[in-house]
Amino acid sequence: MIDRRLFTHFDWFTFSLTAALTAIGLASVYSATHAQMPAIYKKEVYWIIIGLAGLAAAVTINYLLLERLAYALWGGAVILLVSVLFIGKTTAGARRWLNLGLFSLQPSELAKLALIIALAKYFTSRPVPSKGLALKDLALPAVFLLVPFLLVVKQPDLGTAIILWLIFWTMTLMVRVRTRTLVGIVAVFMALTPIAWKMLKGYQKARLMSFLDPAKDPLGTGYHVMQSKIAIGSGGIFGKGFTNGTQGNLMFLPEHHTDFIFAVYAEEWGLAGSMVLLSLFLILILNGFNAANDAKDRFGFLVAFGMTTMLFWHVAINLGMVSGMLPVVGVPLPFISYGGSFLVTAMIAAGLIINIKMRGFMF
Amino acid sequence: MKGIDAGKTNTASRTRLFLAAAFIALLFAAIFARAVDLQVIQSTGLKLAAARQHNKTVSILPKRGEILDRNSKELAVSMEVDSVYADTRKVASPAETAHALSKLIKADRADIERKLKTGASFVWLKRQVDLSEEERDSLAGIDGIGMVKEGRRFYPNRTLAANLLGFTGMDANGLEGVELFYDNALKGAGRKLIGDKDAAGRVMLYEDAAKGADAAGMNVEMTVDKAIQHIAEKALKKAVEGSRAKGGTAVVMNPHTGEALAMASYPSYDPNTFGDYSHREWKNRAVTDTFEPGSILKTFLVAAALEENAVRTTELFYCENGRYRVADRVFHDAEKHGWLTTAQVIKVSSNICAAKIGERLGKARLYRYLSAFGFGEKTGIDLPGEPKGALQNYKNWSGVSLHTVSFGQGVSATSVQLVTALSAIANGGFLMKPYAVKTVRDSRGAIVSENNPVVRRRVISTETASRMTDMLIGVTTSGGTGTMAALADFEVAGKTATAQKPDLKEGGYLDKAFMAAFFGFVPAREPLIAAIVVLDEPQGDYHGGAVAAPAFREIASETLSYMGISPDRLGVKVKLVNYSPQNETKEGYALSKSAKDEGVMAMTVPDFTGLTMRAALMEAQKDAIEINAVGSGKAVSQTPKPGSPIPEDGVVTVRFQ
Repeated sequence: MIDRRLFTHFDWFTFSLTAALTAIGLASVYSATHAQMPAIYKKEVYWIIIGLAGLAAAVTINYLLLERLAYALWGGAVILLVSVLFIGKTTAGARRWLNLGLFSLQPSELAKLALIIALAKYFTSRPVPSKGLALKDLALPAVFLLVPFLLVVKQPDLGTAIILWLIFWTMTLMVRVRTRTLVGIVAVFMALTPIAWKMLKGYQKARLMSFLDPAKDPLGTGYHVMQSKIAIGSGGIFGKGFTNGTQGNLMFLPEHHTDFIFAVYAEEWGLAGSMVLLSLFLILILNGFNAANDAKDRFGFLVAFGMTTMLFWHVAINLGMVSGMLPVVGVPLPFISYGGSFLVTAMIAAGLIINIKMRGFMF
Repeated sequence: MKGIDAGKTNTASRTRLFLAAAFIALLFAAIFARAVDLQVIQSTGLKLAAARQHNKTVSILPKRGEILDRNSKELAVSMEVDSVYADTRKVASPAETAHALSKLIKADRADIERKLKTGASFVWLKRQVDLSEEERDSLAGIDGIGMVKEGRRFYPNRTLAANLLGFTGMDANGLEGVELFYDNALKGAGRKLIGDKDAAGRVMLYEDAAKGADAAGMNVEMTVDKAIQHIAEKALKKAVEGSRAKGGTAVVMNPHTGEALAMASYPSYDPNTFGDYSHREWKNRAVTDTFEPGSILKTFLVAAALEENAVRTTELFYCENGRYRVADRVFHDAEKHGWLTTAQVIKVSSNICAAKIGERLGKARLYRYLSAFGFGEKTGIDLPGEPKGALQNYKNWSGVSLHTVSFGQGVSATSVQLVTALSAIANGGFLMKPYAVKTVRDSRGAIVSENNPVVRRRVISTETASRMTDMLIGVTTSGGTGTMAALADFEVAGKTATAQKPDLKEGGYLDKAFMAAFFGFVPAREPLIAAIVVLDEPQGDYHGGAVAAPAFREIASETLSYMGISPDRLGVKVKLVNYSPQNETKEGYALSKSAKDEGVMAMTVPDFTGLTMRAALMEAQKDAIEINAVGSGKAVSQTPKPGSPIPEDGVVTVRFQ
């Protein structure tokens, strides 16, 4: 199964990007937590090792195997999500984790991968009409989305739910939807928006409101965003230097090693560091598109595209929220934020991109 | 099959992929722009916000300056004592260290242990603790524990002048009295240690607290004389306790300068243990508490009437045999009187005749003179908590207000205001600004700031002052209400008051609650001191002449003897009169335009010419003058002319064009 050519053709470029981002992530987590919570960055090292194993597995596997197992994988992810409802670990009011003894797993992360693979398989196996997908063609993909989506909303985990939603629409639009169908769907959703607002949890509404005017309630829900902006802005052009960030180290910045890690990084490395990090992400994403473009088949194309856009949406939403351009929805920054399951997910995604890129040339 | 399929979709897909890439590039551009916005454009403001959150300074207090009396005797001093702090990162075992420390610094073990576990690089363990040499040595031997010298306040005379001096809090900031008013000078520059503070408030210092020199505080030298203060406090205490009053005040002033020589309040407290007392004991009643002055106000009524030539000294008034009906009110005198001269009205203190003199003077002029004597206006003394006192504008007076104000009801003032106003009669007509501190000197003795006598305005002429003095002497001579204030060797000019206390809840006046007061100056014709004694609700014989006058006599007699004044030495310059004001300068100041510009009311008809009607009306309002406006536009002429006496009815006709 392991092909010799895997080593001769190894995609060092994508791997280096991933490694550089992970290194920046580890350094940032260290800086944010070494003074107050030294256990955290040590755990991050273990997660990186697990992630690298996941990446290696994703690179070596023949992705045609994934195509065959796509629906089974999706089913497995759904079973894990359902089991979270019953035996999941509750933290801060949300039931998101499965306790696996040594570590906790967030099945909603695996659901992102499973959704991409299932959609890729479906859109590969069904011929797409030249005008695009009609409503009836979207029925099964909608089931692929809605089952994990509703289970995640139930946890509740608004961030992940939004990501699943965005993955679905990005991929569906990529394979093309009939214009009439699309217009109809948009109209229905606009009509449903007020009902959705009513269904949001109190804290979720508060976050949306505080996003609109963070200064109004600086010690309440607007606190995250104010502190985050202060940390980023006080970094200036060249930053305060590694581990010299005051806002992160002095605990003014909440969740500074998870969702708000970019603020710690930007405070210490300044605009220069921000530019480097943003460039790395941009290159990673364009490289992923390139891999999709060069994929030798439609399934490879869709998987590479899906994985890349998943990473993109995380980056865009996380940075938008940390810099105060979007409401706070709890989406981590790939490779940088502390958080085991998502780090492994992101590395598997990177591994699949490498896999597809390599096999695009190999055969 | 797959190959064909893929080839077909790829062209269309490629276009969409390109569109997606373009969309992503656009979003990244937005994020780049936001980074520049936050980290370059908004950076300065956000850096400030960050600094505000985490910068923290710890103040090490320098030795606070001393408070001295006018002869440089110590009233408040500072001792250097140790304050103990910890750098908890260097503490090996919080539990053991806390155990060792709790005995040495006499603090709770659990409390120390909690502080040691915070992880902060600087935390006070105990401030201002008395340590022996051995204790200091054993403390220095403990890892992570340090000591700095801080000043602790000590008041060597205990309760003496306590209400004047005030006290300081734990951070050696002045909380009351001179300690509060002169806090910045006494405090000195101090030393600030800079560090960081985290979101939980823990402090990390960048420098070593044990190093560095302090800038000492400045010394404050008061006008108060410790000996006279002692005399006043002793006499006041005796009077309050003897009459079972609720409280009292006594103020002694140099009438020529406005210097406070003594200021006593009862009840008092020991500032060394101020925490054992309440605000009731802390406050300096002579400055902070107003009361209705009652009959002593007649002094200023008659002074105004004499100045305005509204009455003559020997003119007779009919006192209605103790019963005088005005509108729906009936006024009474304590004793029935028939015909009395103006001087006798003061001597026996007839309310009815005072009301008649008030009628003669009229609302506008009475109001104007009371304002000029400083009623309804802060004296500007350099002590905290001074109120204005109450004096309603005469336009708002009700039907009998003119009569009641004439004998001191419906007006309120502090003891300091009253003795300052009395000083204007003692010194020949000048209202002074009272003050309690002479000089502020730095630790090397150089003068940093100095208070000098300030004339607020001339109120009455020297001649009126002298005629008024004669009448006030009558009060303390046989047949007067204040004979118990008389001294064997010196003439005393003064006035008694026995004022009903207003009922603040129900309105009107309380039945059996009085303020008994006596104020006077001595020696009457060459006054060296002016003083007031006020007793709050004395029991038994509650008359001012019976309870306050003896206290005045005690203060006056002992003070004069302390100052070394004997009748044969009168007129010789004595040490207390270290300032003899030049009459020319005073007069020049009092009548100058600048005094008027500061909002002081005019005593002669002001110059309205050139003013618009609005400006003229505002000026007139301030001076309690009414304008009879003719025409419109700018004022071109007026009757009476500027500088002439204000007419009886207070009306000036101004022609506008």
